[in-house]
Amino acid sequence: MKLWPLGFILIGGLLLCTWLSACSKTSPSSEIRMALSQGPLNLDPRYASDAASARINRLIYKSLIDFDAQTKPCPDLAAWQVLDDRHYRFTLVSPRATFHNGVALTAKDVAATYQSLLSLKNSPHTAEFANISDIRVVDENTVDFYLTVPDTDFPARLIIGILPAELIQQAHDFAHDPVGNGPLKFASWRGTLKLSRISDGQAFNLQEVKDPTVRVLKLLRGEVDLLQGDLPPELVKYLAKQSDIKVQASIGSNFSYLGFNLQDPVLGKLEVRQAIAHAIDRPTIIREAMVDESRPAGAVLPPEHWAGNPNLPTYEYNPQLARELLQKAGVTLPLRLVYKTSTDAQRVRLATIMQAQMQAAGIALEIRSLDWGTFFDDIKHGQFQLFGLTWVGIKTPDIYRMAFHSQSVPPKGANRGQLKDTKLDQLLEAEHWSAVTQYVHEQLPYVPLWYEGQFVAMRKNLVDYALKPDGNWDGLKTIKKNNVNF
Amino acid sequence: MMIKRLLGIIPVVFGVLLLTFLLVHLVPGDPVEVMLGESATTADRAQLRSDLGLDQPLTIQFLTYLKHIAHGDMGRSIHTQSDISAMLADRIPQTAKLALLSLAIAIAVALPLGILAALKSNQWQDHLATLSSLTLSAMPHFWLGPLLMLVFALWLGWLPVSGMESNASIILPALTLGFGLAAILTRMTRASLLEVLNEDFVRTARAKGLNEKNVIVRHALRAALLPIITVLGLQLGGLLAGAVITETVFSWDGVGRLLVESIEKRDYPVTQACVLVIALSYVVINLLTDIIYTQLDPRVKYA
Repeated sequence: MKLWPLGFILIGGLLLCTWLSACSKTSPSSEIRMALSQGPLNLDPRYASDAASARINRLIYKSLIDFDAQTKPCPDLAAWQVLDDRHYRFTLVSPRATFHNGVALTAKDVAATYQSLLSLKNSPHTAEFANISDIRVVDENTVDFYLTVPDTDFPARLIIGILPAELIQQAHDFAHDPVGNGPLKFASWRGTLKLSRISDGQAFNLQEVKDPTVRVLKLLRGEVDLLQGDLPPELVKYLAKQSDIKVQASIGSNFSYLGFNLQDPVLGKLEVRQAIAHAIDRPTIIREAMVDESRPAGAVLPPEHWAGNPNLPTYEYNPQLARELLQKAGVTLPLRLVYKTSTDAQRVRLATIMQAQMQAAGIALEIRSLDWGTFFDDIKHGQFQLFGLTWVGIKTPDIYRMAFHSQSVPPKGANRGQLKDTKLDQLLEAEHWSAVTQYVHEQLPYVPLWYEGQFVAMRKNLVDYALKPDGNWDGLKTIKKNNVNF
Repeated sequence: MMIKRLLGIIPVVFGVLLLTFLLVHLVPGDPVEVMLGESATTADRAQLRSDLGLDQPLTIQFLTYLKHIAHGDMGRSIHTQSDISAMLADRIPQTAKLALLSLAIAIAVALPLGILAALKSNQWQDHLATLSSLTLSAMPHFWLGPLLMLVFALWLGWLPVSGMESNASIILPALTLGFGLAAILTRMTRASLLEVLNEDFVRTARAKGLNEKNVIVRHALRAALLPIITVLGLQLGGLLAGAVITETVFSWDGVGRLLVESIEKRDYPVTQACVLVIALSYVVINLLTDIIYTQLDPRVKYA
């Protein structure tokens, strides 16, 4: 039998490849293409709660306030006055912003945005504003917020992007067709999200590429121009060695920690938690298995935060001391514990390193990596002994109340370890943040691990991209693409 | 008889709907918590639970779900608030396109290779074909995919790494899926053809003086195709179900990727809809396979 079909297929295949080669070459594009490990889910700031949506919404919509370098609230769209402890007045700064549909932003839009948010029954943000008793428009530039109970952090909560009142009334689909007032304007969203910069028309293409290796390959081939975060350190180091790629790193503020179930009879003992803190060699982990600019953490908020505490002592790696503390607590060695984490390869790797380090202290750590949904559900329901998580984008010291107050046990908050400590509750209610951080550091409901460094890898023809400690993508406001094609 | 076969689909679909509904309600996670986050009050949660009908007994929830499905309403995504029917209408053609191209690649590779292996049984061509098919079947898609990217996209620069922005983007995911399927089909073709070549009717055809090409193509291959069609049907069902890993690795916006994302995000209505579409695609493909079977072998009848 002749095998001409096979030959025909092979020749056809070769011709096809030649044709594809010609038509699939990456051509220099004026568009800036960014690969995301996780794409946005919802571009309506009243609903968005995932990190990617929040980062993009910051670029499409401006909010009343923003944060300065010390993470203190500062005016963005509006400046504020405290008229009394339950009455805040916000005045739009001039020149007044304009929505992307050409309509000028007024106090009516601010009031409409927050009023609509308060009326929503399925928004993750509505409860955060339950303290608002009334919102009144004073004039075109001024809006008053009235509170039920005093809240000194109130301005720092007003970070929801402002929407046009007219479109809110028409029940416009902001989730898929956002009309904002920020530096970037929505263009389209079918598979990839396309935005354009108001100031110079620079076009952006943001595409979700889940696999880290594929993101790197796309960057190397020039199919994308930059990627930020979410890469294993070895890939970052590999990219740094490539001639047409540059890698920038800076300090981060996202806090990684090891959480305890304080209702567990063994982990409820302070000596056991101290032993675990002394059984982890954080400097070595940071040096060997993390990206540059990662640094050990002492508290949820970093030292440069206005409510941070730079004077906290560190828990040194000392397996011998850890053993002694365990014996003092009356624990039989080896102490068997279960550590839950997600299936993320880097998280599993870090857990494996900690497992090996803890062995020297007489702790036998069993790692259970679970898909994100199951893992987080277990954590919220207290079904764990130890877990590892990261607080991302935290701005206010209110996080301490949410994470440690005895009335913040899930589902009413994020006190997942179910800490019940009257003294801490009193400190939290007094908002004595320095004492709170000191006390939390001593009592160890969390073992503070590190603030992971931020990095961006981009092609060399990109300039003016500044990294932010919380990993936001504000650098897209200024980034430029040179004509030179590297 | 075909009507009876078609009616048989109804209990299958009902069973799928019931199982999907139960599975989604049994896995850990609560859609209300997903929607409201950690700051909502108990009263807010109870209100939303009531609004969504999640406070109703499971039987009532299932009947409501069936009623909506019967009206073609698959609901809305928890996260994006998008209409799920519209989401699927976008995704299904992409998955179908990828599945059909993968199948075409698999057939184009496997049939000639399998025939060659059978005709040159125990010769070097047979060993080479067997080695190739074994090698390909031993490669998981999450490994083969990036390998093809490295070679064809990065080193040779012929094809895009991933995405859906150019027509050429489909080639690498289709090759990844097609090679895996070709490995199975090659071995199946070889085994099936070898068996048929020893049958009496093939010997008779040769004795009648027919040339070898006619014997192979018109007599042996036609008979050997029956088990291959069965495997093809099952495999195509799997491909239409969404090649979960391949679609994820190649950022291909198909049903498989949507399913994985919905499970990760606990977007239950989307998960339910995806599983339903996948089950239906299996049912339809199996039905089509049965029909083709009767055409190829008139002896096969449905009782």
